[in-house]
Amino acid sequence: MLIFKLMYLIRGYVVIHLDDINSEKTLNILRRKNIAVWDVERKNKGIKFKISYDDYIKNLSLINEIMKTVNKKGLMLKLNKVKFRRGFSIGLLILIVSLYLLTSMIWEVEVVGTNQTNTNKILALLSENQINIPVSMSQIETKKLETMIYNNFENYKFVEVFVEGSKLIIFVREKEPEPAKIKSNEPSSIISSKNAIISKVIAKSGQPVVKEGDVVYEGQTLIMGIVKNKNSDEFVMVPSEGIVYGKTYYNFEMKEEKIRSVNVSTNKSKFVYYLKINGNSIKIIGDKEPYENYNYRESNINVPIISKLADISILKGVYYEEVIKEIEIDEKTAQNKMKVSMYDELLKRCDEDSRILKSTVNFSEDDDFYYLISQIEVIEDIGQKIRIFPINDDMTEETKED
Amino acid sequence: MSKFNNFRSNLADELEIPNNALSDNFDLRMHGNKKVIIENHLGITVYEDNMVIVNTNDQKITVKGSKFKIEEINNYKVIVKGNIKEIIFSMKE
Repeated sequence: MLIFKLMYLIRGYVVIHLDDINSEKTLNILRRKNIAVWDVERKNKGIKFKISYDDYIKNLSLINEIMKTVNKKGLMLKLNKVKFRRGFSIGLLILIVSLYLLTSMIWEVEVVGTNQTNTNKILALLSENQINIPVSMSQIETKKLETMIYNNFENYKFVEVFVEGSKLIIFVREKEPEPAKIKSNEPSSIISSKNAIISKVIAKSGQPVVKEGDVVYEGQTLIMGIVKNKNSDEFVMVPSEGIVYGKTYYNFEMKEEKIRSVNVSTNKSKFVYYLKINGNSIKIIGDKEPYENYNYRESNINVPIISKLADISILKGVYYEEVIKEIEIDEKTAQNKMKVSMYDELLKRCDEDSRILKSTVNFSEDDDFYYLISQIEVIEDIGQKIRIFPINDDMTEETKED
Repeated sequence: MSKFNNFRSNLADELEIPNNALSDNFDLRMHGNKKVIIENHLGITVYEDNMVIVNTNDQKITVKGSKFKIEEINNYKVIVKGNIKEIIFSMKE
């Protein structure tokens, strides 16, 4: 019946009101004339029904004689009206199509954050990958472009591609030059990178200024790159080489909940479909957020041909229902977890060559949490090489004057 | 039912083909108590909000109920929709 109604909606139909008391007779006359009648409804005095526009035209004289036409509906009737204003209608249609096509295309590419030479290189790369201006927005995949530019140019540390209106904007940030490494023959000193107690000093060159058992603070000089010349009283600057081992102490305080809330799936799911036009979504089927707790995933479905020509696709979203369950964590699991986290944290703070000398780990608990309090004693290389510079004579004179 | 029509009906039964293909008998189908489809009819005699009478070759079919609406009527079939309470078959006078 729906197909039948849809067909007549396209071909056109006429709504007729009949105030005659003997309406059955009219219905039978129409039936005998082979006119299909549908949606017959009794109104106050008479009846209301629908017949097709073709039948209405064929039996116009008969119908006008016995009944009153109320309304004419349908796509064909609308099109017939439009026929009289053909030029205007075609113009309007062309305007709408042109506007849509113009706004769904990219007409300009702008590169921000680099010089003209690199901009030309990026544009050449786009051309190599069949992205020539003008191009349809549906063919632009920003994430893919970002990856492509990032992989092809080593000197960019950040690339972002986005569409603004009908313009494709490529935003790049160039890498800063890396600080020069200290050459082995440049004068340098070794300073402490951490607060520690000196355990061992192995100085290959330079003058050690600390000894075993000394307490040193972060930034304090351990091996000085200024040594006295053997043949004269003058001091000379040399590159420092050596390893200084120090005992360092790390304190950790951690806590872990006794009861934890976990989301568990109930295997129930509901779908929602959106029509996506130029990045804007219009919901067509389904409900948004049908569950109180849910996990949401979405996927894009491209419509054949249409998605290629214009930026139109269907977005399918799935809501998976979840319930929150509270899980009690036993003491051993919590302790193991805290220990693992503690050692992970320690690895981040120490070098790979570091060695644990002593560790004290204490566990405690209250009503809600398990606690870990620990102190780890580590022996590690605390030396950090820094470049030293000679003080110019001019500068020393200036300071004297001051 | 006339003798010839009766014969055609019996023949259709023997040949295991639809009865209304050979005879003039009407075909009546119901969808729950909401819809009744009558095929091979001869027109409507009465159409009221609570009653529809459909004329067939031998009988009159009276459909009683409420909120009746004729969904479709053509030369071959009539579809009556509404709350159907009663269907009465009566021989034509």
